[in-house]
Amino acid sequence: MIVPTVEPSDEALAARAAAGDDSAFETIVRRYQARIYRLACRLTSDTDAPDVLQETFLQVYRHLPSFRGESQFGTWLYRIASNAALMHRRARMRRATSSLETFLPRFDDQGMHAATPAELQVAARADELLDRQLLAKKAREAIARLPDLYREAFVLRDLEEMSTADVARTLGVEPATVRQRVHRARLMVRGFLGSLVEVKS
Amino acid sequence: MSEVRCVSGVELLMDYLEGVLSAEMRAALDEHVAGCEKCAAFVASYCETPRILRDATASTLPADVEASLKNFLRTRTTAFGRN
Repeated sequence: MIVPTVEPSDEALAARAAAGDDSAFETIVRRYQARIYRLACRLTSDTDAPDVLQETFLQVYRHLPSFRGESQFGTWLYRIASNAALMHRRARMRRATSSLETFLPRFDDQGMHAATPAELQVAARADELLDRQLLAKKAREAIARLPDLYREAFVLRDLEEMSTADVARTLGVEPATVRQRVHRARLMVRGFLGSLVEVKS
Repeated sequence: MSEVRCVSGVELLMDYLEGVLSAEMRAALDEHVAGCEKCAAFVASYCETPRILRDATASTLPADVEASLKNFLRTRTTAFGRN
């Protein structure tokens, strides 16, 4: 008879790690390192992500004894990583980047879309129309040019695919605030993607 | 409620997709988008945006970064080593 191996839950590992079991902490690191690295790349840059990754797990190690399990472990961990990324962004002199505001949708004085249907639709095809490497570069640029508050909400909700409720818990804001920030970010990024692709008239 | 314009459709799109609008408002938006080629095009690109960005930014953890993390934690904590 095959006995399925049951992986210990995050919360069980966290409790063991908090009690000083280093192997439990190591399991947590292995379980989450790839996801936290990807998140760090999205919130900062490929260059800064290794530092954010290290800082995140050091903070986790130090603060595990205070993790009480009121929130899900994943939400707690993502909050630490998001804060580490934010500190990193603030710590370094950031090059002034132009805002993505100019890519918000435009309307005529009747409140109707000013652009043509083809122009409005084209962002949906950015990935078939653009070279992969160029798109990867531009995607990072788009995220970097979002205001900090929008970036966090957008990355957690749309790129890490957390639920709106979990993003709200992670960031300590209301779900309605998350929806508003994610929406603004989507509008800007959508317009930016569209601007990269030429529409044949 | 039949006075929905593109601009309010755009404003309410996230709430529409997240299911937090009233049934009445949903119906009004559905009706507008069904008859508005521009909004249909807009909604399509809005809905694709998260996936395109997600796919374009899906980094994988490089082996050297993983090794550095392990080394870093070994020097700062009692984990990853000593055995």
